[in-house]
Amino acid sequence: MAQQQTSVTYPTREAVDFVIVGSGAAGGVMAKELSGAGFSVVVLEQGPHLKAGDFRHDEWSYDYNGGLIWGSKQGHPQTFRKSATDTAKPAEAALGYAHNVGGSSVHFSGNFWRLRPIDFKEASVRGTIAGTNFADWPISYEELEPYYTKVDWEIGVSGLQGPWDPPRSQDYPCKPMPIKGSDVLLERAGKKLGLNPYPAPVAILSEPHNGRPACIHCGFCNGFGCEVNAKSSSMATMIPLALASGHCELRTGCTVSRVTTGADGKADEVVYWDAEGNEFAQRTKAVVLCANGAETPRLLLLSASDQHPQGLGNSSGFVGQNLMFNGYTSVVGLFPQPVNAYKSIPATRVIHDFYELNPSLGFYGGGGIDGRHYARGTPLNSALMSGMFGGPKWGADYKKDLEQEFTHTAAFDGHTTSLPLATNTVTLDPTLKDKWGRPALRCTYMDHPDDLATMKFFFDKTGELMEAAGAIRQAGSYPKNGQEGNVHLLGTCRMGNDPASSVVDKYHRSHDVSNLFICDGSSLVTSGRGQPTMTIMALAFRAADHMIQSARRGEI
Amino acid sequence: MIQAELSRRAFLRSSGAAMKASCITLTFPMVLTACSRANETRLNGGDFATLSAVEAREYDAIAARIIPTDETPGAREAGAVYFIDNVIADAFERQRQTLRLGLADLQANTAALYDTALFADLTSVQQDSLLTQIEETEFFATIRFLVIAAMFSLPEYGGNKDELGWQLIGFEDRHVWTQPYGFYDADHLAKGE
Repeated sequence: MAQQQTSVTYPTREAVDFVIVGSGAAGGVMAKELSGAGFSVVVLEQGPHLKAGDFRHDEWSYDYNGGLIWGSKQGHPQTFRKSATDTAKPAEAALGYAHNVGGSSVHFSGNFWRLRPIDFKEASVRGTIAGTNFADWPISYEELEPYYTKVDWEIGVSGLQGPWDPPRSQDYPCKPMPIKGSDVLLERAGKKLGLNPYPAPVAILSEPHNGRPACIHCGFCNGFGCEVNAKSSSMATMIPLALASGHCELRTGCTVSRVTTGADGKADEVVYWDAEGNEFAQRTKAVVLCANGAETPRLLLLSASDQHPQGLGNSSGFVGQNLMFNGYTSVVGLFPQPVNAYKSIPATRVIHDFYELNPSLGFYGGGGIDGRHYARGTPLNSALMSGMFGGPKWGADYKKDLEQEFTHTAAFDGHTTSLPLATNTVTLDPTLKDKWGRPALRCTYMDHPDDLATMKFFFDKTGELMEAAGAIRQAGSYPKNGQEGNVHLLGTCRMGNDPASSVVDKYHRSHDVSNLFICDGSSLVTSGRGQPTMTIMALAFRAADHMIQSARRGEI
Repeated sequence: MIQAELSRRAFLRSSGAAMKASCITLTFPMVLTACSRANETRLNGGDFATLSAVEAREYDAIAARIIPTDETPGAREAGAVYFIDNVIADAFERQRQTLRLGLADLQANTAALYDTALFADLTSVQQDSLLTQIEETEFFATIRFLVIAAMFSLPEYGGNKDELGWQLIGFEDRHVWTQPYGFYDADHLAKGE
């Protein structure tokens, strides 16, 4: 049996209004909105319902034993290759995401940048790029803005509007988080170089909001679940409201195997296994896939049928294509005094002066820079990297480096664009199977030369900032030879007006199957500059709004 | 100027990635189920779960060279070998074999150069010299990873006794922090920036 999470239960053989697959950033919002509007909703989530009291400062479990992100040990192997001409090799969590109610919004860093007006129309303004699927979005910033603001207030976001920020219809509900030493160094260096550092917007509460408490600055955000519910995850904010509506049944430990269609071509059932491996099929009037940018395309491909031979909703062939990771760079500096960047949230300042790089550089790209601890403030990961300034990896001198590097360093990180490419994909591995016998997720990815050039730009720029900050020593790197995995899983079922080059329309409805909706990281048309969760949640609020109106008009 | 190239580990954000060079990466040991055993072992002064007395002594000697004892405690005092005993108890045969064969090689090297077959009997200078020779091996990467994991994981997993590892790096496991967190934000506040 599914582990019951709620008093309302729906029989599987009677159609509910909506089945939502996945309970993460998008799925949680969908569940809350649709159930709150009075529709009957079943949410299927493969992971458990962990709550604040379940989380611990346990790096060994979470980072090394699959505590949140499952891997081959839990029966979820994956494969990776750089090119379609290679045979993919087993890779742990190349497509990384958390398996629990709330999905990766539970363990993410909380960085919560909005996209800007330019992101939605960049191909028109900047020009298309040969050999890529770089395109405008079917919606504008202005259309999404009310939903960004809805996210701000419904889940709780802390920040401060800057003069260079995209326009907003309401202020942030919570004041900015207090600055950390790593960001004092970034802010001073940025100002010295004539840049405009400003408080980072984060989905972490700086003050009580909607009945949840303020952050207590324990430092275990990125990679961990918040122990006091100050992080504004779907689990902490949306799921409780969905369950309280009396119209939402959350079934955890349930892994969806396929979506079936009836004679009319519409989706009619969602087939899944419960934790014990018993197979069920939930009848439904509509299906909402919010399973993330890796699992959503896999499920569509696994749902191929005579009616949908290329996979459900895949007449365009775009399902699984255009995978975008966002690029990243990091420069670590050693400082004479204690920084203690391991305390409090990951980042409290951001520099967005390089949001759009000048086209005269000869490549497309842009991004943001923030200050952090070099290894998320985690002791074990930090120690594994010690000796980073050229010191030995063991022995008496390694121990000396251990004594200063954890506390006396700051990292300046770049977060950058990725171009959508037909060759960067999520597909079904032809040989490797998961514990259910399904083809494993296969990732094929190589950063576009412009993406690598953009990373190089940010790497050099953060080096200059580190110099200006007065670092005694510097070390750093970026994935020059291309990334081999990430936790941003974007673009694989993109939105668009043209059914030939997109998977869903501007309201997240499948071009092919009228009662199938898809909303998660896969919906993004372009990558943004590196912090996608805010946009995923805003898209979900907007999509839900339109779905509710359509359903009420009988148009689903 | 950026003087040093950071290890790829800096950037790997998903689980298990830092273990790439060690054999532990292939299959994760189920230490979660066995975490309390090391402490019991230590408290009872009893036998190790997996290691023989000789193996325990050898791993302890290696651990003591990876994070040595000087003015401050090292991996020996932190009880790294108890964590290792735990991990090995739940490791897969392939991983145990890597460690067994690696240790046997190290002991063979010891016997070829010195009057003993036991690494633990050597002076620290002799030990460092032998370990330097095997720095690039999977065995060394694995034992290094385990010693560091022992030293910096939660004490309940068997190493990091009395939080000695955390004290070494200046990590304090608190739930509540308030500003100032360090020197620079204190200075920022003092100057009213």
